[in-house]
Amino acid sequence: MLLKQNNEYIHSIQNYVQAFEKNSFRHIASNDFLKWPDPLEETWRLSRLGKLTRKKIEPIYSDFKKNIHIKAKIKNAICLSFVDGAYREDLSDELPVGISLHQLSEKECLSFLSKIKKTNLANHPSANSSLSCTPSIIKINVDPYFSPNRLIEIIYSGGMDNKSVHPVLYIELKKSSNLSIVERFNHSGTLIMPLQLIEIGELASLKSVKIFDDNKTTYNLSAHSVILSDKSNYNSFSLIKGSEFTRSETHAEFKGEHATMNLNGVYISGGDQHHDLTTAIYHDFPNCTSKQIVRGVLGGKSTGVFQGKVRVAPGAQKTDGQQMSKAILISDKASANAKPELEIYADDVVCAHGATVGELDDDQLFYLNSRGISMDKAREILIIAFLEDIITQSVDGSLRDFIFNEAKIGLLSILE
Amino acid sequence: MSLLEIKKAHLKLDNKQILKGISLSVNAGEVHAIMGPNGSGKSTMSYMLAGRNGYELESGDVLLNGESLIGMAADERARSGLFLAFQYPVELPGVGGIAFLREAVNSRRKHLGEKELDHLAFVKEVRKVAGEMFVKDEMLKRSVNVGFSGGEKKRFEILQMAMLKPTVSILDETDSGLDVDALKTVSDGVNSQRSDSNAIIVITHYQRLLDYIVPDYVHILSDGIIIKSGGPELAREVEKNGYAGIINAS
Repeated sequence: MLLKQNNEYIHSIQNYVQAFEKNSFRHIASNDFLKWPDPLEETWRLSRLGKLTRKKIEPIYSDFKKNIHIKAKIKNAICLSFVDGAYREDLSDELPVGISLHQLSEKECLSFLSKIKKTNLANHPSANSSLSCTPSIIKINVDPYFSPNRLIEIIYSGGMDNKSVHPVLYIELKKSSNLSIVERFNHSGTLIMPLQLIEIGELASLKSVKIFDDNKTTYNLSAHSVILSDKSNYNSFSLIKGSEFTRSETHAEFKGEHATMNLNGVYISGGDQHHDLTTAIYHDFPNCTSKQIVRGVLGGKSTGVFQGKVRVAPGAQKTDGQQMSKAILISDKASANAKPELEIYADDVVCAHGATVGELDDDQLFYLNSRGISMDKAREILIIAFLEDIITQSVDGSLRDFIFNEAKIGLLSILE
Repeated sequence: MSLLEIKKAHLKLDNKQILKGISLSVNAGEVHAIMGPNGSGKSTMSYMLAGRNGYELESGDVLLNGESLIGMAADERARSGLFLAFQYPVELPGVGGIAFLREAVNSRRKHLGEKELDHLAFVKEVRKVAGEMFVKDEMLKRSVNVGFSGGEKKRFEILQMAMLKPTVSILDETDSGLDVDALKTVSDGVNSQRSDSNAIIVITHYQRLLDYIVPDYVHILSDGIIIKSGGPELAREVEKNGYAGIINAS
């Protein structure tokens, strides 16, 4: 039964690509989508897609005229909008000189496909299906030495029941450029499979915030590949709170020396939600630093997963890789899984990981209660405090208040 | 009417009888000291009064302003005017001092039907009271009790007491971990809160604290029961003869 349904989605992808030329990048990609990940496969063991694979899903045909109300949330941001996976120029702001956006040509798409195939996302379901079925691959390019004074807010919305949505984004920061992006996932359909490739050039720096806040019946399977050059910096923070099931998978590769990366995240889960932050960091070059802090708050019958792999290649000496995850369970039926994984093939490195799962501290709750603060408020105060340091460390300036507020809204919904 | 009345309080912890029938009546304007050796049930009594989970009475009753506290959660008791200054104030990393105080004060004000204070009015009030309690501005900006010295923690407890204006305050071993100077500062803070309309219960091992906070009554707690009550002279008797003398005599 399972297999049959699997085949159905593959057929629907193949149907989608029929309209395109035989040797197009879509055909090549669709040939690689053979099946959903096996539940026994190690990296999918804790996040099973059984319920999703039993649904009858087809790729969406984007309606470029779909009228949708998009509301930017961040002051002064340059807003870019994707609806049903398609970039909508009519709903987006103009970019300043120094940043350009274009749709990749067929030739560029083929080269993009081969880049993805070289990353560790090659077999990710969102890589192959989104390359097959995306309305177009959009590239954002930041010119060398350019640092815009406004951040970019990307809003992904749209979606339909029993449809899969496929936004594909390629971001390239040229030498010594800077960019700050906030991406908000706000889909309402059955499945969204965002695919992203980010290349950060020498001495360039990208600050990225992702807020996963899709509709409560949506599955979000995000796949991100990040490639860092010499002395570049990637500072990423993800907040997962919406959806029925979100897995944000990031593979980051150091392809130069003296580069640094922070890959932090918070998930706030309640009800039957399943939230998964999966990361893999490949230290292929010496003298790079990667730091990861993950915090989870789980209520209801929700489950949270943090899987963090750090691989230090032979010769990647003076690598510094740190990883720390903490989850707080606020219900007896919630559960949290943490799976740190270190693979170290160099001998002069500093790598550490730690993972804890616990409950709110009784002494702290009593102390707050003894000051007249109700149990609900006391829990809220302690959970916000639990998230305080990671948000403060991960996000700066005016964005911090925005993220705090988004986190609080998520918390209130699971504390009810 | 007593502000606080404890009637034949019995309490078990892990099947062990800790409080074995304590009775105590505290009137407005009074300061009572409860003294006793280690393990006599002093801290259990303070947790029982404050309403900590797991410290429910097996039998007996406690009345605050004539109203029974049985079945009332810790936060309700606090809003009704009961205050416990902790022996070991709890650290709250990530919870700012001002925000914490404001939440507490507004919870109490709301209960009393008073208007909640806005941020500016509140900060002004806190600064004023903190100054009187020798609580530095910088302490208020930090996370509650995190990185505070022993003296700072206790001063911060008394600042909370001053801000919350409780009817009955229980000071649980407020002298522990304090040097003489800190003891004097904290005691001055407590004394400034004494009034005809409230009452204070001081729980302590040593007579030393009672030189600074002079009680109207002293009670000796031993093995879960008050074995002797008297005036301040009883504390000096403890200092002179130790608890053993009094316990044996009774």
